[in-house]
Amino acid sequence: MNWLSRLLPGSAPALTPEQQNAVDSLATLPPPDPGRSHYETRYVVVNTETGPMEGGGQRLLAVGAVALNQGLLHPGDAYRARLGSAPADALIGLVRFIARAPVIVFNAPFNQGTLQRAFEHNLGSLPELDWIDLMVLMPSLYPERISGQARMDAWLGAFGIDRLDRQDALLEALSVAQLLQVALARANAQGLATPRELLDTQSSRKWLRGS
Amino acid sequence: MDTTASDTLIRTNLDFLRRHAPFDRMEAEALRFLGERLATAFYPAESEILMPEDGPPRFFYIVYRGKVQARQVGGVAVTEYSTLTLGPSEGFPIGAISAGRPSTNGYIAVEDSYCFQLPAADFLKLQELSPTFQLFCTRYIASLLNQSREQLQVQFSQRAAEQQTMTTSLSNLVKKDPVFVAPGIATRAALEKMVEAGVGCLAVAGDDEKPVGVLTQSDILKRIVLPGFDLTRPIADVMTTPPHTLHASASAYDAALEMATHGVRHILVVDTEDKLKGVISERDLFALQRIGLRQIRSGIESAADVQALQRASRDIRQLALNLLAQGIGAEQLTQFISALNDALTRRIIELNLDRHDLYGVEYAWLAFGSEGRHEQTLSTDQDNGILYVLPEWADKEPLKLRLLAFAKDVNNDLAACGFPLCTGNIMASNPDLCLTFEEWREKFGTWIREPHPEALLNATIFFDYRVLYGDEKLAHKLRHWLLSMTGGNPAFLKAMATNALDVSPPLGKIRDFVTDDDPRHPGTIDLKKFGARLFVDAARVLSLRTGVDATSTVQRLRQGGSRIGMPAEELSAMADGFHFIQLLRLRHQHLDTDHGSSGDNRVKPDDLNELDRRILKEAFRQARKIQLRLKLDYQI
Repeated sequence: MNWLSRLLPGSAPALTPEQQNAVDSLATLPPPDPGRSHYETRYVVVNTETGPMEGGGQRLLAVGAVALNQGLLHPGDAYRARLGSAPADALIGLVRFIARAPVIVFNAPFNQGTLQRAFEHNLGSLPELDWIDLMVLMPSLYPERISGQARMDAWLGAFGIDRLDRQDALLEALSVAQLLQVALARANAQGLATPRELLDTQSSRKWLRGS
Repeated sequence: MDTTASDTLIRTNLDFLRRHAPFDRMEAEALRFLGERLATAFYPAESEILMPEDGPPRFFYIVYRGKVQARQVGGVAVTEYSTLTLGPSEGFPIGAISAGRPSTNGYIAVEDSYCFQLPAADFLKLQELSPTFQLFCTRYIASLLNQSREQLQVQFSQRAAEQQTMTTSLSNLVKKDPVFVAPGIATRAALEKMVEAGVGCLAVAGDDEKPVGVLTQSDILKRIVLPGFDLTRPIADVMTTPPHTLHASASAYDAALEMATHGVRHILVVDTEDKLKGVISERDLFALQRIGLRQIRSGIESAADVQALQRASRDIRQLALNLLAQGIGAEQLTQFISALNDALTRRIIELNLDRHDLYGVEYAWLAFGSEGRHEQTLSTDQDNGILYVLPEWADKEPLKLRLLAFAKDVNNDLAACGFPLCTGNIMASNPDLCLTFEEWREKFGTWIREPHPEALLNATIFFDYRVLYGDEKLAHKLRHWLLSMTGGNPAFLKAMATNALDVSPPLGKIRDFVTDDDPRHPGTIDLKKFGARLFVDAARVLSLRTGVDATSTVQRLRQGGSRIGMPAEELSAMADGFHFIQLLRLRHQHLDTDHGSSGDNRVKPDDLNELDRRILKEAFRQARKIQLRLKLDYQI
């Protein structure tokens, strides 16, 4: 299914032809195989920086993303952009950086929600992506540490991960990426060896919680 | 790549590194290079990070957070520790990755740990970029050399069971406060003090507590009772002076060597200000050893016949094994063997003097070759000769015949005590090697003037002479003359240098080592011919060029090298390389003797453990370095 079909008539943002081309070509990228092991997979941890919006709610100000490729964090494999005056370019850059890799967030209702609204608003469409929420997965991987859903600070603290700068979407993404490394190590030990199995676990957790 | 995002992440890496050595001193460009290339990996507690079976490590690791334990894998301990815990900023495996070989340790995360990893090629590149980092890695690898020595201790510890170590410092052995008197005190009062304190050795020290003399129980009979010494005279008139002293930081081994060398039974121990701290007797050291130095020494001194000396000779070997087991280095061990063998040879000579009347003859018994250099191993055959003076009134022939008959008996007795007769007949009983001062001078002079191959070979044996018994002054005179001849003779030195460069260190371009192509000894390296000799020959050239009296290779290197301006650090590295090869030879000879085959110098690099192999390689590199110096100096 082409995600362009989701385009709502009449609310299309004003994209330049180059931007539209970029959006179209990104949609044709082949998705990676979700049945490969974590240590053959490139995950992308995405994080948002938001500010209050007029009339309530949060507005996306910047995005930061860090890849975890084959279990390793390379400083060269990272992305950061402020939406500023060219929000479409910032978001196209992010989608290009993700390159259809499974996306990791902490607190999907907030991060994924904010991002998807921004995609729709600025690109006129939603990129087709697999989203994995560590906030949902962590309690099932490390029930002995924290049994229920907890805030990011609690999980980072449980593994001694520094939260370098909560104001910076990129540095916070780095902390989440380190948490992802911890998560994947345990997932592997539990026999959840691939992104697909993480996605399945996540759906059943969500179903159990009735969300 | 998003450069601003990457820069931010690189900066977080650098912020961590800059807080820790050696990265805190690392050059900015090298640090940046490192920060860009570090990837972060996570290892849960109890997971393996790197194992020997992984083969040559693909990454250099730096602990970022958590704890990593290095654990010994396999039966043979390679390092002094069985486990070693590494914390944040500590890197591994420096040795294995530098050598491009599998790690000898297994590295295991003992708690949840994050590690930075740097690809092996970048690790090597970083050493090129950063002198600081290179120095850090070099020092680390050098420290492995010490550990290798420690490892010997472990390897032999079963055989040396129940033995305390000879490396204990004297301060640990001194049990009682020293008993001492002032030099002005009357001898009677001094003797009363000895009786009162119940000591066999009385130290004499001034008001400043610095020892000036010593009197032992055995002196009382010989110097006081029998000669009827006046007991009102001060003790200073009868004491032995100066006393033999050692610093409290010296080891039991040092004290044993001092006693063996000088034939004394007591050593005064002094502190850093040279104040008397205590007295160490042979008895104290005896407690440390199963086969006591005291027994061997007194066994040698009181030996009435060759049979008794044969026992002493066996004891020397056993003692050497024990000392090797206790982790004593090659330098000290060979000195030790040398000191005891000297005593043994002297006793053999004394016993033969009872049967051969050489009264009034000025002569010196010379040792050549490795014995002359104090570098005997345990399978050295005898190389000796005689230097004598022909008095004007005497006929040469009868005197020489008497000396030869005496030498023949000494040679045979030495053979009976485990020093095989020299197959090349380099023995004092050979008429060509029982020569007058003038004849030796003539012989040496011919070799120096006409340095054909045989003359050069002779020079490598005979120029390393040393007096074992008899007239030392005569030998010094000859040495003095020899050095004056060689020092000013560049052509001879060049010929000696060319000879020394005849054999190259067995380092391979592709493989680590080039082993012998002799089909009878596949895969082996002769550590004498292709190892020790390279250092010995080069050091000899150095000594003949710069006029160094010493015959030991290390002394020649240190003194001769510094005379031509080689840095002390470089010379120490060469000495270390030589010692390591000697240590391997000794170890090999000991082990093989125990297993029944004859001790030789052939070592199979493949049989060595990883660490020894690497150090051996470094030792050969040091040999290459000194050879290179000769090449440059003599334009060979």
